[in-house]
Amino acid sequence: MEKGKISSLQMGMIMYLTIMSTAILTVPGITAKYAKQDLWLSPIWASLVGFMTLFIVMRLSKNYPQQSFFQICERTAGVYIGKLLGFIYVCFLAYVTGQIVRSYADFILTVYLPQTPISIIIISMTVLAAFTVIGGLEVIGRVSQIFFPIFIFSIFIIIILLIPKLHLGNLLPIMEDGILPSLKGAIIPQIWFGEFFLLIFLLPFLSDQNKGKKWGLITIFMVLFTFIIANLIVLFILGQNTAGTLYPFLKATLFVNIGDFIENLDPIIIALWILGSFVKITVFYYVTALGIGQWLNLTDYKPFVWPLGILIVQLSFWSLPNLIVINHHDETVSPFLGIVMQTCIPLLLLGISSIKKKVKAVKI
Amino acid sequence: MKWGIFFCVMVIIGAIILYEWKKIKTYPKKDQFTFFILLLLAGTLSLFDLPNLPGPVTLLENIFRPFGKFMESL
Repeated sequence: MEKGKISSLQMGMIMYLTIMSTAILTVPGITAKYAKQDLWLSPIWASLVGFMTLFIVMRLSKNYPQQSFFQICERTAGVYIGKLLGFIYVCFLAYVTGQIVRSYADFILTVYLPQTPISIIIISMTVLAAFTVIGGLEVIGRVSQIFFPIFIFSIFIIIILLIPKLHLGNLLPIMEDGILPSLKGAIIPQIWFGEFFLLIFLLPFLSDQNKGKKWGLITIFMVLFTFIIANLIVLFILGQNTAGTLYPFLKATLFVNIGDFIENLDPIIIALWILGSFVKITVFYYVTALGIGQWLNLTDYKPFVWPLGILIVQLSFWSLPNLIVINHHDETVSPFLGIVMQTCIPLLLLGISSIKKKVKAVKI
Repeated sequence: MKWGIFFCVMVIIGAIILYEWKKIKTYPKKDQFTFFILLLLAGTLSLFDLPNLPGPVTLLENIFRPFGKFMESL
């Protein structure tokens, strides 16, 4: 189905951009709502979900090497339940792609192009992503290889420029109400760490299988590091106001002012958001298209990319009339849906597979 | 129901069929079937006023309602 191969370094870059692109802008605000000034501790707790997901994915791919996730489902849970699970996963991936496209469009709409109809923003991005998906996994790998240094470098520059504005006192008091607020704040970021589940779709196409685990771990650490740094920067600049802000990192960037000359750096953040969201949408889109092909044992996924594009655009509108509904949905449904689909069900599959292995061993 | 959206989607579906027809002809029956099912689904959905139609989001909200209440209580 997919003949391209990527290196594990490219896989790491794809995953980093997939997770960090949207996380850096939206997550600090939501985390601060629950964790107050301890928001920088929350990613550490949330990363435990990431490590667990990576462990599950690695064990599954070790037990069933070179097999797709849908084959693993059928091997462990039986043909009928496996097919049903596959259907649920295909729907889940398409649904998540729709949500990501919508959150991308909402950001562009509120910050940059308030007069443009939302459908134009959504359709243009979906068409662009569709072309990349048709290009295949190698193209996605190279795209993220080009974008990764730009992303890191821009964030690094912005952080350097923000140093004169930091109020380190905002950090105090650390753990005023104990550990609980930071744990509450970890409920939302764990969705992003759970997205390491996507590795299970990428692992069979690695040219260097044995390095997959190493780069997966490095990617988690890098994501965790960037998360903590972004949260700290936002906290040092906005302080108590972080909680009420929709895009805190963007707001923090507005504070850059060096000698009244270097200022108004927010277009960089918008560019980063478009660039990162593009990779994220492409990866989810690709995995959905590939998933449909693997689930039904078809010969190729490429013919379904365009029909799926229409469905993704429609899913990004379905039952989501405005931003209030979307934000409520993101805070009440997504965390639990994320952990169930990305961590718990794969864990269950791993459990079944290891039990099956033991039963077989006893029989022999 | 908005006819404008419906006709736009129909035009896009027609364009996709025209564009993919040469390639999809050579694929097995199962692939062709999936291709047309997906297009049919897209065409059917375009008949409705999607933002106000109950859909997967509503379903998930109903499934995760107890958890949602827990999140609101935090």
